[in-house]
Amino acid sequence: MVQFLETTVDKFTFKVATDRMYTRAGLWAKHESGRVRIGLTDFLQQRSGDVAFAEVKPKGTKLSAGDEIAVIETIKVDTILDSPVSGTVVEVNPAMDDQPEVLNLDPYGEGWMAVVEAEDWQADSENLLDADAYFEIMKRQAEEEAANL
Amino acid sequence: MNEAKKVVIVPCSGIGKTYGTVSREAAYEVVEEMRPDDTQLVALSLLVLGDEDARAAVATHPAVSIDGCKLACATKMVAESGGEVAADLAVLDVYRRYRQFKPQGIAELNEGGQKLASALAGEICEIVDEILTNQGLTNAGEISTKQPASKKSGGSDA
Repeated sequence: MVQFLETTVDKFTFKVATDRMYTRAGLWAKHESGRVRIGLTDFLQQRSGDVAFAEVKPKGTKLSAGDEIAVIETIKVDTILDSPVSGTVVEVNPAMDDQPEVLNLDPYGEGWMAVVEAEDWQADSENLLDADAYFEIMKRQAEEEAANL
Repeated sequence: MNEAKKVVIVPCSGIGKTYGTVSREAAYEVVEEMRPDDTQLVALSLLVLGDEDARAAVATHPAVSIDGCKLACATKMVAESGGEVAADLAVLDVYRRYRQFKPQGIAELNEGGQKLASALAGEICEIVDEILTNQGLTNAGEISTKQPASKKSGGSDA
């Protein structure tokens, strides 16, 4: 059972799953026996808005951490998403093609984007944030955005 | 014009949002140009305010709601106003079918937005025609005893 950290800012509630690592930009990376499952955080999906299209780099694509792994087009913005890890894309969520709304509906579950065969998870994870650290950054980001509304 | 044959069109009222503008432009196109004799526009804001005429319109006619986002305010307000949502359309779902028409702009839509609104208007007209056919309404405005069809079209992501 996944545990969540949770905060409410203005009228919005944001969750952070405690069982994975994060980038400051709002992607999560979950290590699964040498492979890393990647997706969007709840905060990023809410801030971005309803996803119209999601284009994820195809299976077999070799990536370095920081390379573009996906582009999402929402009702508000087009966003380029950078891979949190180096490695090779070994799986792409088929729902990205025909049901990209799962990114909004279940960002930490069915809304995962891709699985990457990590080259060096240990090294990449040192550049990622744990859930507590990301939670604090996300809260500040949310509060700043609320103040600017 | 026979009021009995009107289908009510209720677009999103999202001001300052591109998809809301697309929903309203499509509704205007349907009501003013494509099906002026078969449809009437009801402003969502009037339903929110509890306007009696607006509530009566949705309570006595099948309604097609057009939602600009997953909050689905138009669909919800029709139901809360005692109306029957004969069909609900979400702009996002329509855009997914017409990716070449990327909408931008708010007060004024870009060309993609205008084309998306026209595509949406076309889909609304198909639904209006189907509702009228299922109701057994004729050009003379006669109403049969058939009940209006309940159609989920495109689906709202709310």
